[in-house]
Amino acid sequence: MRRTAGKRLARGWIAGLLLGAATLCIPGVLFSDVAKPQIPSARGEQCVEPVEIMRRDHFDFMKHDRDTTVHEGVRSIKHSLAGCIDCHASRDTGGQFISINAEGQFCQTCHTYAAVKIDCFTCHAAVPATKVSQSP
Amino acid sequence: MLLGAIFAGLFYFATVVFLVGVGARIARYARIPAPLVIPTTPAPTTHAGVCARMFREVVFFESLFKGSKWSWLFGWLFHFGMLIVIAQHLRYFTQPVWSWVMLIQWIGSYASFAMFVGLGGLWARRVLVDRIRYISAPSDHLMLALLLAITGSGLLMKHVAHTDIVLLKAFALGLITLSWQPLPNDLVLLAHLSLVIILMLIFPFSKLLHAPGVFFSPTRNMRDNPREHRHVASWAKDLPKSADSADGA
Repeated sequence: MRRTAGKRLARGWIAGLLLGAATLCIPGVLFSDVAKPQIPSARGEQCVEPVEIMRRDHFDFMKHDRDTTVHEGVRSIKHSLAGCIDCHASRDTGGQFISINAEGQFCQTCHTYAAVKIDCFTCHAAVPATKVSQSP
Repeated sequence: MLLGAIFAGLFYFATVVFLVGVGARIARYARIPAPLVIPTTPAPTTHAGVCARMFREVVFFESLFKGSKWSWLFGWLFHFGMLIVIAQHLRYFTQPVWSWVMLIQWIGSYASFAMFVGLGGLWARRVLVDRIRYISAPSDHLMLALLLAITGSGLLMKHVAHTDIVLLKAFALGLITLSWQPLPNDLVLLAHLSLVIILMLIFPFSKLLHAPGVFFSPTRNMRDNPREHRHVASWAKDLPKSADSADGA
């Protein structure tokens, strides 16, 4: 009884291994490319952190600096949301800024892709501050 | 890219072992004869009643609740936390993400903690309760350790050592469309995925088979009708009639 169970197990593993190896032989390039977010290009030279780091930790930076600003009153922070928007908000054909959380824009394109809700813009402006809107 | 290809290969292998293994188990469970009517009474007398009982068993863990409140509490927390967390993970495999998967994202954060607490409680029970410790086999502890490590590495990624989930989703979509994509090179993520692969590989040979097994449990899926209908196992129908009278004599 034990031997047959062992044999069956071994047969299952061998079959699995062969099938797994067979799938590896299928060249991935034959198949269509997967959907990826189309991120609009930014203005400016360089982001405040390397792209690799920003993709993983941007929300921690923003939250940390929010606390620094709100609780301690420090306004000269490196990772400000306004800074993100200044470089990353796109303009429409008429030259007007598009909200950065609009569909297909810088924030939203990845956030929709990964199903992560953004709640920044229920309070914060989603377009760069212009001369007209700035207080004197 | 190499990392992505290696993990893609491992995932395909694990999926095949998981599906074939569990399928073979279910086929075997379905063929096992049930010669006697042994539902745990009080038991329903109709098919609809059996369906209702099975529903309560699978969704609310009714018999566990009657048996042990602590096991029920931690077991239920773990299982339903896991259900929500697995559903939440569908965001990596659907593009565009299904609307109901979007809606449950926020619950997932809490559900993953429920999973962690549930598993911790179930393990504490195995260590702290004398009679449970006495009957616990190494596999009981190892399955809990494996599930706890999967949950723990997931929580770690969500709250401490983040990974690039956009790149990860591209990898996941690539898996299901057979187009390999690079995988973020983060240690916690690779540990999380490796542990899930191990789980898929040992599932068809482990105690976790209680998931399909509960539906084949005669004490749960039989009607209490031995007086109304004589129960004859399918293999017994082929026996010669004379055997009956010989027994009776």
